Amino acid sequence: MLAALVQAGGSFSRPSVDWHAASPELILLGVGVLITVIDVVWKQRARSLVVGLSSVGLLAALVPVVTLAVDGTPRSMFGGAFVVDDYALIMKAIFLLSAYVVVLMSTNYIAEGDYWENEYYSMLLTSVLGMLLMTSARDLISIFVALELLSIPAYMLATWRKRDLKSNEAGLKYYLMGVFASAIMLYGMSLLYGSAGTTLLTGINKAVSATDKPTAVVTLGVVFVLIGFAFKVSAVPFHTWAPDTYEGAPTPVTAFLSVASKAAGFVGLMNILFVGLIGRSDVYQPLIWILAAASMIVGNTVALRQTNIVRMLAYSSIAHAGYMLAPLAVVSADVVFAGGGSVVVADQALRATVTYLAIYAAANLGAFAVVIAVARKIRTAEIDGYQGLFRYAPGLTVLMTIFLFSLAGIPPLGGWFGKFRVLEALISPGTAWGSTLALLVVVNSVVALYYYGRVAVKMWVEEVPDGDMTPVRVPVSLAAALGLTAVATLAFGVGPGLIGHFTEVSLLAGIGG
Amino acid sequence: MSEFLRSYLTVAIFGLVGLALVGAFLGLGRILRPDHPTPQKLESYESGVDPTGDTWSQANIRYYIFALLFVIFDVEAVFIFPWAIRLDAYGAFGLIEMGIFIFILLLGLIYAWRKGVLRWA
Amino acid sequence: MLLNQFLLLAAVLFCIGVYGVLVRRNGMLVLMSIEIILNAVNINLVAFGALTDNVGGEVFALFAIAVAAAEVGIGLAIVLLMYRNRRSIDLSEADLLKG
Repeated sequence: MLAALVQAGGSFSRPSVDWHAASPELILLGVGVLITVIDVVWKQRARSLVVGLSSVGLLAALVPVVTLAVDGTPRSMFGGAFVVDDYALIMKAIFLLSAYVVVLMSTNYIAEGDYWENEYYSMLLTSVLGMLLMTSARDLISIFVALELLSIPAYMLATWRKRDLKSNEAGLKYYLMGVFASAIMLYGMSLLYGSAGTTLLTGINKAVSATDKPTAVVTLGVVFVLIGFAFKVSAVPFHTWAPDTYEGAPTPVTAFLSVASKAAGFVGLMNILFVGLIGRSDVYQPLIWILAAASMIVGNTVALRQTNIVRMLAYSSIAHAGYMLAPLAVVSADVVFAGGGSVVVADQALRATVTYLAIYAAANLGAFAVVIAVARKIRTAEIDGYQGLFRYAPGLTVLMTIFLFSLAGIPPLGGWFGKFRVLEALISPGTAWGSTLALLVVVNSVVALYYYGRVAVKMWVEEVPDGDMTPVRVPVSLAAALGLTAVATLAFGVGPGLIGHFTEVSLLAGIGG
Repeated sequence: MSEFLRSYLTVAIFGLVGLALVGAFLGLGRILRPDHPTPQKLESYESGVDPTGDTWSQANIRYYIFALLFVIFDVEAVFIFPWAIRLDAYGAFGLIEMGIFIFILLLGLIYAWRKGVLRWA
Repeated sequence: MLLNQFLLLAAVLFCIGVYGVLVRRNGMLVLMSIEIILNAVNINLVAFGALTDNVGGEVFALFAIAVAAAEVGIGLAIVLLMYRNRRSIDLSEADLLKG
């Protein structure tokens, strides 16, 4: 094996590195290493420094993202394995901002819980680094490495409360499911590599769409890769880990998993689907259709009978994964290669999912921030604990209502625009399958109203059971997280042009669109 | 016979010969050696002292951490071997790259040392 | 070169691994089954790489080996944590979270 490597490396030429394009990742890596160095030198004495450093690092990494976006030219490195385009940049911005909000949410939670703070933030940054890499990865190897880089720290974060049996169990289930999924995905990737002879997604696209019918190897490869990502985005029937892990993990980590980790799964899926496999829509379309429909239906119906708010949000996040998968089920090569206006259809699906991800991120992070704030007083995540919240915490009640109704898709809050884009993408190809899925989205949104509304009724209408009216103390950083997510949720809803403008992205530019 | 079957025939013959050799040596030993079992002889050997406890015993949990550190750092070496073979071609660029790689690995080791993982007590 | 044998071997290993993950209730054995799947992948990658005369497969296999080591490190740590807290690594006993 090594001999083959040596032979192939006959003439080595130094790869040209576009430092500007790689700088968000490099900054994050630098800050992560710096935190470890600080931890090694000063140990726990440097805790407050580390919190500040990680938030500054996340915001600093955002600076080159903005300058690259202003510059606007797509950049490509390492033979096309690392691409920085508009799509990669908007997703990087979403990841960095979500992670920043998660850091704000974690500050008091982790400090008061006496957990391992320095390690917590360096693990969080490492995971975000994996996500940033994922947005730019256009090669099987880099997608795999990015996926593992974002997952492995996440397994540890889920298990963070070492002495707590529930946290152990959450981490164990997440780990076993995650590793099993990535092993299956890796097997699929090895088959795709074998049928194409290259790990570059553009090369795979050429090879797999060359023939009229897919070979068995390609079909198996596509199916296994899809199953792997279905685990990652917690789509039914590969969702079983999600509610348990969300309930047992520390709540800021749950917020991180349900937003950033899920979004990273979608980014990886979209990279592979649009750049690598778009010619094989005959294989992936029915699969994604089933995954999307099942996730919506199962997620929403099971959420109806949850008594724990974190589990309810977990099932709701499964349903949202269904909504986000839905536009991908109408993407096909026909509409791409037919030329003319039809490229728009595939791009529309991509934009719908990206828009939905951004809006979902804001509302879901906000909802978890409220859960953390309320848990500081009532010490439980049972929905019954929220009875009469309005009597003693009117501000939190209003915020929670905003976030839940945005998730439900009620105008003028952000969620309606995401659903609108999804429906638009589903209906515009004019196929029966697309329209059926659109109908399912509408029906499920109505069902979802019931369980979001039930929490609202508990908060606004009912009386406080134990008559304890002491207000909830919300620390500054948590309040900042609540403010940021609320402003984003409202802004997306009132001025949808705002997010619409940023999500005008395309992945198809390079492949014959 | 097809190429496919022929190559497996080789494997089958190889396996049979292997089995036959092992059988022959063990059988020969059984015929030649004297056989007088006593309770002392059947006891498990424990460096000359009287054996104590069960044959199934748990290894100390501390071995695990060392084993884990060893496995991780050992496996990372697979990236260093191909690099070392081609060092002349990669030049200063490769040296700096590998320096960064080893630095990050080293940071992990220093971390383990500072957190007291390497102490045996 | 005979590619089929390698693919067959990998497919058999893959199936054994998946079977092990689904059936075994012992945390350690599940981890070992996952390792078997990853080894099936490596066989595939190296076989395809040798067939197509392309180093991508070998490089991919090296990454898969390194990442698998890191993964198993975390996995053993989590299983060990579970053992310390409840003196058992039987996965069917991990049932606190339900609903």
